[in-house]
Amino acid sequence: MSVPLRRALALAAFAVLAVLWVLAATRLWRTKVPSDLKLPHLQASSYFTPAYLRRASSYERFLRIDFVLAQIALIAALVGYALRGERLMRESAAGRVGTGLLLGMLGLAIVWIAQLPFGLAEVWWERRHGVSHQGYLSWAFESFFSLGGEFLFICLTIAIVMGFAGLLGNRWWIAGVPALVGVAVLIAFISPFLVGQVHAARDPALRADARQLARVEGVGHLKVEVEDVHRFTTAPNAEAVGLGPTRRVILWDTLLGGRFPRREVRVVLAHEIGHIAHDHIWRGLAWLVLFGLPVGFLIAMATRGRGGLYEPRAVPLALLAFVVLQLVVSPAQNATTRRMEAEADWSALRATHDPAAARSAFQRLARTSHADPDPPGWWQALTGDHPTIMQRIEMVEAYARRQAAAG
Amino acid sequence: MHAEAHDHPVRLSSSDDLRRSRLTVFFRLLLAIPHLIWLLLWGLAVFLMAIANWLATLLGGTSPSSLHEFIARYIRYETHVAAYVSLTANPFPGFTGEPGSYPIDVEFAPPAIQNRWKTGFRLILAIPALILNSAMSGGSSGGGGRSGSGGGSVGLLWVSAFLGWWAALFTGRMPEQLRDANLYALRYGAQTGSYLLLITERYPDADPELPPVPGQLRPHPITVSVEEDLRRSRLTVFFRLLLTIPHFVWLTLWSIVALFAAVGSWFVTLFRGTAPDPLHRFLARFLRYSTHVYAYVTLVTNPFPGFTGLEGYPLDVQFAPPERQNRWKTGFRIVLVVPALFLSGGVWGVLLTVAIFGWFTGLFVARMPRDLMRAGAYAFRYTAQVNSYLFLLTDRYPDATPRISE
Repeated sequence: MSVPLRRALALAAFAVLAVLWVLAATRLWRTKVPSDLKLPHLQASSYFTPAYLRRASSYERFLRIDFVLAQIALIAALVGYALRGERLMRESAAGRVGTGLLLGMLGLAIVWIAQLPFGLAEVWWERRHGVSHQGYLSWAFESFFSLGGEFLFICLTIAIVMGFAGLLGNRWWIAGVPALVGVAVLIAFISPFLVGQVHAARDPALRADARQLARVEGVGHLKVEVEDVHRFTTAPNAEAVGLGPTRRVILWDTLLGGRFPRREVRVVLAHEIGHIAHDHIWRGLAWLVLFGLPVGFLIAMATRGRGGLYEPRAVPLALLAFVVLQLVVSPAQNATTRRMEAEADWSALRATHDPAAARSAFQRLARTSHADPDPPGWWQALTGDHPTIMQRIEMVEAYARRQAAAG
Repeated sequence: MHAEAHDHPVRLSSSDDLRRSRLTVFFRLLLAIPHLIWLLLWGLAVFLMAIANWLATLLGGTSPSSLHEFIARYIRYETHVAAYVSLTANPFPGFTGEPGSYPIDVEFAPPAIQNRWKTGFRLILAIPALILNSAMSGGSSGGGGRSGSGGGSVGLLWVSAFLGWWAALFTGRMPEQLRDANLYALRYGAQTGSYLLLITERYPDADPELPPVPGQLRPHPITVSVEEDLRRSRLTVFFRLLLTIPHFVWLTLWSIVALFAAVGSWFVTLFRGTAPDPLHRFLARFLRYSTHVYAYVTLVTNPFPGFTGLEGYPLDVQFAPPERQNRWKTGFRIVLVVPALFLSGGVWGVLLTVAIFGWFTGLFVARMPRDLMRAGAYAFRYTAQVNSYLFLLTDRYPDATPRISE
């Protein structure tokens, strides 16, 4: 086959893939939030006191500066590692893939060291504002030992990638990304069992609410569990985890025991059930395929100069490429998760028919975690995986107006 | 053997002939009671003298000869008593710590100039040696611990003594390898006590192959080879435990299969008299891999090991091909291996201490102390033989002699 023909075929394949990508993304982008829903533009000062807004803004300003500095340190550390990490190959007697695993783990170790001061600064700030009760040493040890889990994960990732690189050369990403998503599916499936300090919800009222909301949202039987975190933090949270038979809702105990009124807990519960009702974990995994394929391709391109990911010496560079690409892709990725969160909010409003409770729940969520209800756009784009508190309140108001209009 | 070791100012010698009196063996602990009481009283006096010696050495730069002699005599006496109780020697010792009066003896070089900084901070500097000594000889210190009165860990010496007690009771002889393991622990204990009590400023040497341990290991189908690369990467040392997690996961999975393979090999060996070649190779590779992983995590070696158990690692195990095995020994293997597993537990206590101090040293000076590395290598050689015996790779009993290779 001649070179121009091969190029033309590659271009055609690329075009087909791009079209498929766009079609799939369009399909995944759709939500049950009515497309004609107009969110009113509201002022944060109408829902929060000026004193709170000043405090929240100051609280988050520090976290933003800390985040930016942490990202700079992260990139600097990984650039240094990409340039000099190859030397660490002499610390291995483990062959091609084994050496790749070591370099991957050491990359994470260096990242941990580079991030440690910023993490400690964040703990200091949260303790100062009463959001966290965790000690510095306890945090450092916990983060050190959780690195063990990250090491395992990166080993699995690199073993898959380097294994496919051995078979497919620089086209490893074609099989590697789906294989990695397969691992992600497995992790999502078992994730409920990886959460520590969890017990089944004991409050009969909470269980009754969960049953009723699950029925309304069309989920059927659903487990509701409570995670004990009040010793470390005052921040409230909840999550929907698991797939198929393992799916469940986990509520942090910082929401319960009278800290949030029952009506507000119902809203939170309905939101999490909404995630399950709309298959958000599966959709998240589908987005992972869509983002993973181009990222995998670009990493393969970036590491070509070092022999591709067949060679362990390319691993430090691949880590740098991955982190940079992740940073670049994060606004788009966050946009997709915000869509799903908005859909879960809408689902909760429809299930509870209680916009007043939803409004006060969002206000309380903001106040207990010192969240800025209306953060700067760049911050929201870069880190906001949920709509801002004001956007969520705007949806509540839009729902209330619709409800009023419908009589 | 490095040159420095020969001229350590504190040397242990042995003229023991391995013969033991069954009667005194049976009552050994009770017979030692007068010695233990006397040791305690003498120890109180030594405590006061040690303070005087510390001040005198700090001011004068050298230990006064009278104090040196008094404390040296105490250490020698303590070694005699420990040797007697641990069945490292047979005769009832005298109460004076007279030089040359006992088959297991300690020689001390005369007082020498000592560095004042090292003298001033001796108690702190001695802590690692005291902890390692505790792993070797049990108890909680280099002094009373060796005679078993200090409490705390059991230690290699007392595990070996316990096993030796049974052997000596039935055969009237102390197994040579157990006696030699005891000598290793006693030598280290005497050197630790001497360092702590300012008899010498030379740090105790944990190298297992120093005298009075015999110069050769008996031939065994399972051997170990060690490359003495003492360089350590600080980064990998700091994260060593976490870096080994993938290996532990893989090792756990492999262990499950190896367990079934060992059971299969047991049946075949029992009927055929020889382990099947494929299972022998599979289990050998598994044991080699597990040695690589543990050598890595305990910092006895530096490079990240491979996942396949292939030869070529700095600390490696060589396995002889399958040979005929006694069917009785095969049938009762799980029972026969118990004493070796006990001793292996004692050896691993030493290894754990080696790993902890190796971690700190590796982190600060990017090197593993040679003697610690060799103590670790001894632990791996013995463990490899124990595991090979358990997994039917050989019917030759593991050799506890504190040597690394033949």
